[in-house]
Amino acid sequence: MTNQKVTYNKKTRKLMIHETVTSYLFLLPFLLFFVGFVIYPMFMCLFTSFFDATMGREDIFIGFQNYVTLFNDPIFWKALWNTLIIVVVSVPLTCIFSLWVASVISKMHVAATSAFRCIFYLPVVTGSVAVTMVWKWMFNNYYGIFNYIGTNTGLLEKNINWLGDERFALACIILILLTTSVGQPIVLYVSALDNVDKSLVEAAEVDGATQMQAFWKIKWPQMMPTTLYILVITTINSFQCFALIQLLTSGGPNNSTMTIMYYIYYNAFKLYKYGYGNAMGVILAIIIAVLSAVQFKLGQEK
Amino acid sequence: MKKLIALALALIMVMSLGACTVTNTDSTTATDGKTPVSTDGTGDTTAAAAPVEISLWTYPIGKWGDQATVNELLASFSEAYPNIKVNVEYLTYQDGDDKVNTAIEGNAAPDLIMEGPERLVANWGAKGKMVDLSDLWTDETKADIEANNAAVAAACKWTDGAYYEYPLCMTTHCMAINKTVFEKAGAMQYINAETHTWTTENFLKAVQAVYDAGYENVGAVFCGGQGGDQGTRAIVNNLYSGHFTNEDFSGYTINTPENIQALETLVKQDGINFDPAIVGGDEITLFRNGTLQMAFCWNIGEQLKSENAEAGRTNNGDEIMFMAFPSDDNVPELCGGIWGFGVFNNGDDAKIEAAKTFIKYMCDENPTAAVKASNFFPVKASVKDVYAGETSETVMNEYSKLSGFLGAYYQVIPGWATARTEWWNMLQKVGAGEDIAAAVAAFDTNANAATAG
Repeated sequence: MTNQKVTYNKKTRKLMIHETVTSYLFLLPFLLFFVGFVIYPMFMCLFTSFFDATMGREDIFIGFQNYVTLFNDPIFWKALWNTLIIVVVSVPLTCIFSLWVASVISKMHVAATSAFRCIFYLPVVTGSVAVTMVWKWMFNNYYGIFNYIGTNTGLLEKNINWLGDERFALACIILILLTTSVGQPIVLYVSALDNVDKSLVEAAEVDGATQMQAFWKIKWPQMMPTTLYILVITTINSFQCFALIQLLTSGGPNNSTMTIMYYIYYNAFKLYKYGYGNAMGVILAIIIAVLSAVQFKLGQEK
Repeated sequence: MKKLIALALALIMVMSLGACTVTNTDSTTATDGKTPVSTDGTGDTTAAAAPVEISLWTYPIGKWGDQATVNELLASFSEAYPNIKVNVEYLTYQDGDDKVNTAIEGNAAPDLIMEGPERLVANWGAKGKMVDLSDLWTDETKADIEANNAAVAAACKWTDGAYYEYPLCMTTHCMAINKTVFEKAGAMQYINAETHTWTTENFLKAVQAVYDAGYENVGAVFCGGQGGDQGTRAIVNNLYSGHFTNEDFSGYTINTPENIQALETLVKQDGINFDPAIVGGDEITLFRNGTLQMAFCWNIGEQLKSENAEAGRTNNGDEIMFMAFPSDDNVPELCGGIWGFGVFNNGDDAKIEAAKTFIKYMCDENPTAAVKASNFFPVKASVKDVYAGETSETVMNEYSKLSGFLGAYYQVIPGWATARTEWWNMLQKVGAGEDIAAAVAAFDTNANAATAG
């Protein structure tokens, strides 16, 4: 290999400067928004977490006191536990269900694939309030459809207060979360399956590989980047589950559906404990960052 | 050429951002006039002053949440004070507090706001965000309001002596029964229909009678959140004459034998369920659609509503009867609502004076229309016959019988936001079968800790 010195003439250099400036100017508006609405709030969140901050008076610097209080707060631990349950249950279920649906519908006729993609994507584009209200009606203790079907088929002896019973409330939340979360992964998996190199699959089949083997040995590795992306976004969405809780249970009954996001909202905007809420936000961000890093690491290794 | 166009586009985008900023600056300057507005009560003097634009944010207090009604009120105000322009934003109870608090934090609070003492006085007033309206509270005004109800003035005043609310209207919160169902179940014998009262003993007999008549869900102690929670507080406090706070509103007094007995009674009573899946609004829906036979969250506004059926009727036409909460001594103490105006201190004297002018017009100069819009009752004894000739006149007169049962306005106690949450959390524990005394004790500890701020 020979070392070649690249030389630019004056015209080329001018063009490069033009292109660079143009690129940065295009980036500038978004960069301003990004700094103003993401970076600055993140910094303020961290900064405020060291203060006893509330409405109507100057903030008081209290060092790590918010964090000490936080780790001694049983409701925070309950909220963290519930959040982890939601993540641990909903993330794998979302991935597995989406993959299963995608692998089934990707084998169908193009029109059928598109139709199913639309159907599963509908809850994503439908307003979360509307979706939640429908679920609230279905879970209603007095005239909800689940109780109606359950009692009429003999599956239930009497009506169950699905959202008002500690034993069922969190499961109901997870179920609703699943229905609103699978749309995007299904679309992504269908697309990923379409992009799998067909010649490799055909070659494996000629060599006698079963469908399962072809899937695990050929398709799955090629879909890994998509899976990794789905894992990360589903994990983040599950950690940030808020609207469902706000609209359905307010964290009850007896904190059985309290999540960290809702607890942050409650402390910051109901009790005006801004510093305390921000401290929780910092902890949540750290947890999500660590988990995402682990997921990326594992995904890259595979 | 392409690069040039791209560069030009990028420049336009950046400049448009700058243009937005310039526009905002201009509009701020335009509304930042410091010209004082006279508030001597005459429209003429004000009309001669420089124009002032103020913002009014209003919660849905009767038809004060209805744009057409408010526009009529504003038109009449504009006629009297043409130099004051009022821009209205309508809040809901679901997100209104968040909006106001965000605005306060962003130094963009409205000039004028309509709500009750728990927000205007005990929350934003206590935090130093409101203007002292003592100058509006003349001796004559005080006497007029106190002639109607002595608790009103105290509720509008914070512990620092400042009045952060100038009240317009008031009502008592009550409960309601499905009278048709109660009649069928033979439960009306336990009710004093003349005074709309009943004793605790008769209340329990009535509930049992309705339950025995085949109505599994007679009433629900809703505890899914704070919406309508005055109803659940009232039923618990009244049954055995307990209280929510002490007399000087410095501490919560739920942890008493009377309140514990009330909770035990409700837990044991057939037909009464503790429901953590619903709040007050849901309970009203269930009552209106015939699922529940009584509602603990009710007031005259609900009695007059006619969206789904004739006013005073359930969706299927059953008659609704409003009732005082049952009490062992037959002297109920009802929670009250007192609504009026507060002024945010945004540092602009002209706007503050304009806001006060608006308040005086609505509450003193033209109170009948303003009160009528609320669907509630005037706070001033001198304002009479607000609903004369209206279709609601008979109901309003009948409902006014409950005014005599108005209890202390304890919602101005410190730590109120925490106590409200602790309350429905406690009810959830009680409903889930946890030890009542322990749940009440936990409420007592947490709520009273919050009074310290």
